This record gives sequence, structure tokens and C-alpha cells, in this order.
Amino acid sequence: MTQPIVAIRNVCLDYGGFRALDGVSLDVNVGSRIVICGPSGSGKSTLLRCVNGLEPFQSGEVFVDGVGVRTCKDLPKLRLGVGMVFQHFELYPHLSVLDNVTLAPMKAKGLSRREAEEKARHYLDRVGILDQADKFPARLSGGQQQRAAIARALTLEPKVMMFDEPTSALDPEMIGEVLKVMRDLARDGMTMLVVTHEMGFAREVADEIVFMDKGRIVEHSGVSAFFAAPKTARAREFLDRILLKI
Amino acid sequence: MDWNVVSANFPLLMRGLGTSLQLAAVVIVLSFPIGCLIAIGRLSRRRWLSAVCAGFVHTLRSNPLVLILFWFYFSVPLIIGRSIDDGASVIVAFVVFFAAYFGEIVRAGVQSVGTRQVQAGLSSGLSYAQTMRYIVLPQAIRSMRPALTTQCIVVFQGTTVAYVIGYHELMHTTSMIAERTVRPVELYSFAAVAYFAVCYAGSLLSRHFEKQA
Ligand SMILES: Nc1ncnc2c1ncn2[C@@H]1O[C@H](COP(=O)(O)OP(=O)(O)OP(=O)(O)O)[C@@H](O)[C@H]1O
Ligand SMILES: [Mg+2]
Repeated sequence: MTQPIVAIRNVCLDYGGFRALDGVSLDVNVGSRIVICGPSGSGKSTLLRCVNGLEPFQSGEVFVDGVGVRTCKDLPKLRLGVGMVFQHFELYPHLSVLDNVTLAPMKAKGLSRREAEEKARHYLDRVGILDQADKFPARLSGGQQQRAAIARALTLEPKVMMFDEPTSALDPEMIGEVLKVMRDLARDGMTMLVVTHEMGFAREVADEIVFMDKGRIVEHSGVSAFFAAPKTARAREFLDRILLKI
Repeated sequence: MDWNVVSANFPLLMRGLGTSLQLAAVVIVLSFPIGCLIAIGRLSRRRWLSAVCAGFVHTLRSNPLVLILFWFYFSVPLIIGRSIDDGASVIVAFVVFFAAYFGEIVRAGVQSVGTRQVQAGLSSGLSYAQTMRYIVLPQAIRSMRPALTTQCIVVFQGTTVAYVIGYHELMHTTSMIAERTVRPVELYSFAAVAYFAVCYAGSLLSRHFEKQA
């Protein structure tokens, strides 16, 4: 049995008295796809930020590939193994799409420009926007921007990809193209931790669903079990609301 | 009115203007990067570093430039027990003084970029310094260009303060010639036109940046 690529152990995080994470534990095994959902303010984004050490937490520990985030002396190196995709893309507006993608491979990983561009073009092609490589992010549609952001993360060849509501800032007609890229990634065996309310995507791609509320994981089950019958009233209520809206 | 006095002393006046521009340029080139470091220090999570940088900024912004210059010109040589070259004390005083102002501009610019871009940089494995250098500062500088240009004009005007220790910038040169020729009206008018030309060009540039932003 191989160890989980991400092991979250009893993480608690306070924002000056407000408990944003309250004893969260979760294992992400190699090749698994976990979808996290839950109401606004339940701590989903905060949890992802704890995994790559962007948010210091008071107790518990997160292990990424066996390395503890809290005690880690070289966070940049740890973060190279964890790709992150944000709700608002966070492309760098002053750099072309290609430079967005090659920046970290060159500066953080030490690849030469030639190597980095080769990899970048490969992944831009994979998300279907190689023809946009020389444009600035502002010239791209939202869907293209998010795909560029995914390519940027993939080019570092991380062991796990985290997505924080990757489609919730997109116009409806662009959601599909981003979900398709994510579906392809899953099919190719990428380990994924995805915060999303796209329940269709979850049903099709995920193998586990985590439901969070008020800083806790209140439900963690297999996909079919979750959709068939959520165990908690809170999750049922949430699911009804989400599914009705779609 | 006898404008001949201006043309007769034109090369000397131009040399004065050149000295002023050169001093301003040296001060800007040195104080801007120091200002960047101070801004980064102020935004640091390390409390002591942020406090030291804030103290530096507040101290210098609460003192007149002349006093800072006198400090480096008269006091520092006494403290360190040996004299400093006039030019060096002018440059050090100006650089220290204006670094505080550039620091404040850069801090505002850096804060305008926002934490989400910082998180994007960090999460891609860049160090904090690399994130600043490649992601935050380029964007911050772009949004700060109007304010930076204006500050450069202020530095240029500030070079006149070096007059008080007899540094041969345009103001000092002009007053010496005015005294010798007893033609203050013509000479100070000329100096006014020269300062206006440089500063106005600067403010046009600043307005141009504002429109771009
Ligand atoms: N830097 C911060 N300082 C103080 N409180 C914070 C901070 N960041 C988040 N919080 C609080 O922590 C709680 C969890 O926030 P988080 O962003 O993780 O929720 P979320 O589940 O991602 O919600 P959403 O669906 O709206 O994105 C919220 O109540 C939020 O107000
Ligand atoms: Mg969130």
C-alpha cells in the first residue's frame, strides 16, 4: 500500500478566534479524484491553501508526499509538486500566455528557456490553446484563460492538482471547455483535489466526495453513495439546492 | 533688461543645469531600488523588519530635506571622525530622503497588485523574492508610473536644496553669476524657464502614463 500523496491530519485553523478549519483529516491517494463541496464560508479554499503551505495553521499537520508542511524548510520545492488552479485564473497580466507558463519552470525549477518552452507548448496544446501562446491574458476569453492557468500548473508536472472552483467565475458557455480539460486530466490518471459545485462533473469524474460545513468534513463518501443518499441532513439540503439550480 | 548676461554665461548656466539633472538622475537611480526594498520590508510578515522600515519612512517624511542634508554634511563627519566629500554627503542625504518617498509609492503599488497574484506565484514554486521580482513589482511599477514620474520631478526640484552647501547645481550657479553681474532679474528668470521646461516635460510624461493606465 503506497502512502497517500496528500495526508491532511486533524488540521485546525483560527482566524483571530474564528475557527475556519476545525479538525479536518483527509487522505488523497495516488490517482484518486476527490471533489470537495459545501456552502460558502465552510473552509474549502482555506483547506486547499493549507495543503501547499500558503496558510499557516495552528495545529495538525499536512503531509505532501511524506513531507510535513508545517515543518517544511523548503516550501517552494514542496509546492512544485502541488499544482493549483484558482477561481479567478490569476494569470499574470503583464506576461504573454507562454511567459505565464514558462516563468515557474525556469525560475523555480531551473529549466532552460528552450526546455521550458517546449514543455509549455506541449501542455498548451493539450488544453487546446497553443494558438494563443503569444497573446496577453486579457485578450483571451475566460475559458481560454482558465485553460492557460491549467497548462501553467501542469507544466510543472505536479504529483497532484488542486482546483478551487475553477468554473464558477466563467460564463455558462465556457464552463464545458474547462471541464473537458479536467475530465481528460482525470482520464490520464492525474490525482485531483477539486473544489466545485459542478455536480455533473463530480458524478462523472470523482471517486470520492467530501462535504464540508463550518470548517469540518461532515460527510466523506463514494460518489454513488453520496448522490444516492447523503448521510447528513445538511448535505442533503445542500445537494437539493445545488441540483435544483442547475 | 540686458539678456546678454544670459547668453554670455550660457555655457556656465548649462553646466549648472547639467549638474542638477545629473544629481537628480543619480539620486533617482539609487533611491528607487532602496525604496523598493523598504516597501518590501514594510509589507513583510516579520514584525521587527516592518517596524524598522516604517520607522525609517516616518522619520524621513517628517523632516525637511535641508535638515537631512545638514545632518550628513555637518553631523556625520563629527560622528565618524573624518570629513566626507561634499558631493558624497549631498548624494547620501538625498538618496536616504527620497528612498522614503519612493518606498511609500512602491508600497501602495505593491498593495494594489493584491494577495491573489502573490498566492499564484508562491503556489507555482517561486520563492517570495521571485514572486515579488517577476510578478508583483512589474505590475506595481506599471500602475505607479504616474506617481513615480511626479516624484522624479520633485527630486529634480529638490536638487536646489544642495545650494545651501555650495554644490554647483543650477540654483547655485545662477546666484553666483547674479551676484557677480548684478543682474538677478534676467538670471533668475532664465533659471525659472529652465526649471519649468524640465518639470513641465516631466508632468506631460506623467499625464501620458495616467492615460495609459
Ligand atoms: N484571511 C482571512 N482572515 C479572516 N477570515 C478569513 C480569511 N480567509 C477566510 N476567512 C474566513 O474563513 C472562512 C472560510 O473561508 P473559505 O474561503 O475557506 O470558504 P470557502 O468554503 O472557500 O467559501 P466560498 O465557497 O465562498 O469560496 C470564511 O468564513 C471566511 O470569512
Ligand atoms: Mg472558496
